[in-house]
Amino acid sequence: MPANRSHSPAIAAELNHIRFSYDHGASWALDDVSLTIRAGERVCLVGPNGSGKSTLARLIAGLTAPDAGDITLLDHHVVADVTPNADEYRAARRGIGVVFQNPEDQLLTTVLEDDVAFGPENLGLDRTVIATRIRQSLDAVDMSSVRRADPTRMSGGQQQRAAIAGMLAMNPAMLVLDEPTAMLDETARAEVMRVLDALQQRGTTIVHVTHHPNETRHADRVIHMESGHIAEDASGQATAQCPETGVLTPPPAADDSSTPLPVLSNSSTPQNNAPIIRVSHLTYRYADGERPVIDDLSFSIQPGETVALMGTNGSGKSTLARLLCALARPESGTIEAAGIPVVRPKPAHRKQIAQLRRRVGYVMQHPEQQLFAETVAEDVAYGPRNQGLSDADVQQRVREALALLHIEHLADRSPFDLSGGQQRLAAIAGVVACRPDVLVMDEPTASLDVQAKARIHELLHTLKERGVTMLIITHDRAEAESLADRVVRMPSPSEAQSSPSIQRDAAPQSKTDHRSPVHQLDPRVKMVGFLAAMFTMFAVNTPAQLATGIAFTLAVMMAGRLNPIRLLATIHPILALMAVMSLCNLVVVRTGTPLFTWGPLSVTDDGVTIAVLYTCRFALVIILGAIFLTTTTPTAITDAFEALLHPFGRFGLHTQEIALVMSLALRFIPTLTDETRSIIDAQAARGGSIETGSLSQRIKAMSAIIVPVFAGTLRHADNLSLALDARCYEEGIVRTHWRVFAPSARDAVFAVTVIAYIVAIVVL
Amino acid sequence: MSVSSRIRMQFVRSVAPAAEGAASDASSTAKLGSHNTGVADSGRWSTRRIAMYALFVALAMVTSFIEFPITPVTWLKYDPSGIVCLIAGFAYGPSAAVIVSVLGFVPHMFADPWGSLMAVLVALCLSVPASLIYRKVRSRKGAALGILAGAVLAIVAALLGNLVVTPIYAHMSYAAVAAMILPILLPFNVAKMAIHAVVTFLIYKPISNLLAKQQ
Repeated sequence: MPANRSHSPAIAAELNHIRFSYDHGASWALDDVSLTIRAGERVCLVGPNGSGKSTLARLIAGLTAPDAGDITLLDHHVVADVTPNADEYRAARRGIGVVFQNPEDQLLTTVLEDDVAFGPENLGLDRTVIATRIRQSLDAVDMSSVRRADPTRMSGGQQQRAAIAGMLAMNPAMLVLDEPTAMLDETARAEVMRVLDALQQRGTTIVHVTHHPNETRHADRVIHMESGHIAEDASGQATAQCPETGVLTPPPAADDSSTPLPVLSNSSTPQNNAPIIRVSHLTYRYADGERPVIDDLSFSIQPGETVALMGTNGSGKSTLARLLCALARPESGTIEAAGIPVVRPKPAHRKQIAQLRRRVGYVMQHPEQQLFAETVAEDVAYGPRNQGLSDADVQQRVREALALLHIEHLADRSPFDLSGGQQRLAAIAGVVACRPDVLVMDEPTASLDVQAKARIHELLHTLKERGVTMLIITHDRAEAESLADRVVRMPSPSEAQSSPSIQRDAAPQSKTDHRSPVHQLDPRVKMVGFLAAMFTMFAVNTPAQLATGIAFTLAVMMAGRLNPIRLLATIHPILALMAVMSLCNLVVVRTGTPLFTWGPLSVTDDGVTIAVLYTCRFALVIILGAIFLTTTTPTAITDAFEALLHPFGRFGLHTQEIALVMSLALRFIPTLTDETRSIIDAQAARGGSIETGSLSQRIKAMSAIIVPVFAGTLRHADNLSLALDARCYEEGIVRTHWRVFAPSARDAVFAVTVIAYIVAIVVL
Repeated sequence: MSVSSRIRMQFVRSVAPAAEGAASDASSTAKLGSHNTGVADSGRWSTRRIAMYALFVALAMVTSFIEFPITPVTWLKYDPSGIVCLIAGFAYGPSAAVIVSVLGFVPHMFADPWGSLMAVLVALCLSVPASLIYRKVRSRKGAALGILAGAVLAIVAALLGNLVVTPIYAHMSYAAVAAMILPILLPFNVAKMAIHAVVTFLIYKPISNLLAKQQ
């Protein structure tokens, strides 16, 4: 989209004698760095963790200012003689796109095109311009076909492409990417790299922080950072295999195209004696899945064997890990681990689970997210303590586990003070301290730097020597082959789970005409109307009023073309509660003719009337609420919310900001829910249980879940605030709106219906 | 924390007008280590603040759906969302407590309109006084006092709320609801607030360590 680019200076970024310190000058993350990036260049920043490459990228992106030096970005002199100039920064940032490591935290809404529109809206662009920008930028990342889909439910690769599209829509002259593929698998990485290649062709300046050696292949320049200095600045070809630093040496067979792997199955299993893990005819499907993600899987693992499990995202690897650890229940099939029947044919009972927790260890994806205690030693002690060991034994286990990972010196530090790599090691120590016979690890080395990876590999070798059986999920073929006795891949599912579901979501919505009249209502009118109808429903006191209420609800349901049975299914827990309440009403009412008595209880005809009336009117309220929620997207709800808040702006309420808070909150609910679930699982696998044990144990178990959940919340908030900055959001800016509401005749009809209904209730 | 997240935090620390009342030593070291571009903190609602509020509201929403009975009376259910409101108030001040307490219950509006209004009232009574007191007395003792004051107010609000709301849902007179206060409603609310208080107090230290690193 080179059309009408706002900036096209010859120099994209010029940094002179930059210094940057995180500790007020005690040490320098960047020390006298000077760098010029020409327009249209593709520059890779590489180097070990802590070398300053991310700091440098952030300075180039205009997200932070240095402690010393002089910076010009896109012809804006943003830092002249150490003094940052906010206006210049603001102007420069409009031409700079930034993409971060964590794909999910950069997504702001649940509709792809709305997400892409967010940046242009902040720039105050015209609606027609925004429409063009959305089309162009989605085309550029090849996602036009899913523009109405929910990006939060896409694969990591798609999410990262969506994030890039969100930046392209702001028409940046320069794109800064901070390890955009660190959390992606091989396929997804290739997707992102293809997009970068295409952008390079179009002449976009690209600054790309990476530690994947083969990602520097198409760079014009590779800048090698080493402890705050530029160690080397060379043309792309020359540094592609720079050996002396040892950091970038590509593994000899980095490409996965070598030999096809055997599929995890019974035939791939050495048929020896007594396996330690035996899985037969295992089938599992997600709650909302049409096809099973694991379909009739059978295999076994021998004691002491190390198996590396590979496969595409969504092929069910992580699910299999959770099934083996009794953290999920399969649809059918049997599992036996360490001689304990996990599922066979009934799920294991509590005692067996406790036994299983002692013998089978589980390292979840990003295990550092489960850290919770005040010190590393305390955290590591959590598992052994849950096994009921004596204090001396617990201390012994902690020392041993820390020694295995060479982190004894961190024992008394807060886990939250450590670097990402150290946190990972501490979390793994927490599992190793349980001394499992079987260890299931879900991508233990993902997004780690070389040193931390090496520590974990060493640990795995030691455990192997000690006879621990291991199942390691990994995306790294070289790692798999160097560690495992057997490298297998997950039987491919019915093609990656995500893509068909996205197509499915997109299909009905793309044909807007086919949505029901209720779906198409102006969300503001709809929200007010539904709330008014719901609150007045509580005034229903006579059979005639109730009939009106039922008629109204049925009419809305029919206009919404909703299946009543499916609707009722979504609210069945509340229906159960209502049953209890109606019973209560039955018994409490003493007036009227007694129908029958039973001991002290009597049921009268009034009681029956009242029970029916109260139950029905409450049910109608809930049904109306459910109709509203199923026919309105979260984005529409937030828009309505903002419109309704708008008048309060006059009283100094920050309506735009509050509405944004609301929409971001709705957007992050699934993220936090999933994360909470995985933390609960991980702590359960270490023997933590809220349901059993003494009061203090239960409270400990609860804080072992709550603290990491809060830590995760703060981490997401950090990332999110940067994502908002990258999209040029600022308090009080004048934003334009991509979606505009124009109440139509349909809305008038709905409003009249609601008013008529309310009048009827009042009159009757 | 990886380097990049340290950068993020540093950056965030520099742009966030550190939670109300806690920004004393920022000015003395303004020159070195400020890293401020001057863009993101143009008003009270920095992007940092919006992001924090959003995530806390999301967490309150998530936890408000985790309901379980804590007394033999099964229709009164405990949910941990009050803990999130309390922590938000301690960390970011009374205005955060208000926002999290109000917005956190919006999703319930469409399932249980009156009940959600009451839940908002109770959450406000708990978290706002607690954060006001903690703002004056920033110590463990202040936190304890705050929680205690908030809990008492919240219990009173919950009982009054029940008097008003219960007759809408069940055919009961005010007198009948009032008769339930001592045997049923009071013990439940006391137990609920006790759990809030104990858990908040226990996680206070690790969480404040976490927050300290970000402010």
